Amino acid sequence: MNSSFGIRHIIQFILFVVLQVFLMDNLVLFSMGFCFIYTAFILFLPINISRVWLLILAFATGFTVDMFYDTMGIHAAASVLLAFLRPLILNLLTPRDGYDTNDSVNIHVMGKSWFTTYALILILVHHAAVFFLETISFNDIWYTLAKILLSTLFTFVVMVILQLLFFSVKRANR
Amino acid sequence: MRNLFAFIYRFRAFLVFVLLEVLCVYMIVRYNTYQGAAFFNSANKYIGQVLEYQSSVTDYFRLASVNTTLARENAALREEVMRNRLEEQADSTDRLDTLYYAPSDTSKLSPYVLHAGRVINNSVRRTNNYLTLSIGTADGVMPGMGVISSHGAVGRIKTVSEHYSTATSLLHSQLLISAKIKSNSTFGTVKWNGGNYRTALLDYIPLHIKPAKGDTIVTSGFNTVFPEGIMIGTINSVEKEQDKSFYTIKVKLAVDFAQLSYVYVVENTLKDERDSLEIETGIQPNE
Repeated sequence: MNSSFGIRHIIQFILFVVLQVFLMDNLVLFSMGFCFIYTAFILFLPINISRVWLLILAFATGFTVDMFYDTMGIHAAASVLLAFLRPLILNLLTPRDGYDTNDSVNIHVMGKSWFTTYALILILVHHAAVFFLETISFNDIWYTLAKILLSTLFTFVVMVILQLLFFSVKRANR
Repeated sequence: MRNLFAFIYRFRAFLVFVLLEVLCVYMIVRYNTYQGAAFFNSANKYIGQVLEYQSSVTDYFRLASVNTTLARENAALREEVMRNRLEEQADSTDRLDTLYYAPSDTSKLSPYVLHAGRVINNSVRRTNNYLTLSIGTADGVMPGMGVISSHGAVGRIKTVSEHYSTATSLLHSQLLISAKIKSNSTFGTVKWNGGNYRTALLDYIPLHIKPAKGDTIVTSGFNTVFPEGIMIGTINSVEKEQDKSFYTIKVKLAVDFAQLSYVYVVENTLKDERDSLEIETGIQPNE
């Protein structure tokens, strides 16, 4: 991990959390679709990052969001779960010749289908964890499921838009 | 020993994962049950400052509606002052509304104190909604106090820092408010079950009562959080379900939670005395 890792990812961390707290907090579709875009920070971390670091960073992210949302521990728990599952999903999705050293989570490099499976599965797990931890019970299960599905789609679409806008093809080839 | 360390090293990711999850679950459980001790929430000094800065920007866009609400409230208060003055002149105690306390009642002697505060963070669409207010212990706010706005009951203070406080909104799955139907004083409990933020449920109204659509629901004053007679809402629909011994009543809330800007924190100066007396008698506080 060199210093450029640090600065770029600290900036990403701040950007995603600010985006989450100031903008996405007020943006709810049909009072059911929530966008937890801060998960993008965890999903976009380098592929070869160590598992322990990933877990700690995910905890820090979730915890920061929790403080603003007054949902002590819920987002942190979901993010840690997401970070734990991320290496497993990455293993499942390994391309035929393995990951290159400079491969990153980038829709242009890894391809659309790879990115879709990777992001959708992990976002779904994360959102399911958040909404079930929030209600604790299994009452209104259809309402919760609808919330999970709509929110997953919403977050995914925003994440793809971010990828297409800010993760250029050029940088990936470097 | 070496093997043990090797084992720990090999499964370090899993162990860290379990450790962090246990920590999270501990925080969730503690924050949900143990009131007042959580430090890492939006009443925190730094988080409060960020939220206050945000609301100082967004508040500009709502100034018109905030001003109208405040002006309307002023008008209502002036009207009440004038009415009281007239009544004082006429000295016609028999015309006083039943909502007013009888003169012999001690709760009239030391009334509730209101602390005005600005809402700097608010949500209405989550399962458990909270408000952050820009007043704290420095202004006399304590955990457990009620929060009202000019339209009606809003919630209850949960944690307090020096200059900020968080309140559990009425739109919280675990906040119950002791309420009564104003016309016949039948008391029940108002709670919110998620979904639409304009409607809540009124529970425990027995079947021999005949609640009608449009009846006013106010706070009962049976606990020390809210004064008696604070507006909660009006009855939207009354349903009698077959296997239940209580009505299912939907209440249209008087407060539009999405539009909250200024609220009042209610301090009951006799709270300690009343609570300790009730606990001594063995009555559990009903909230």
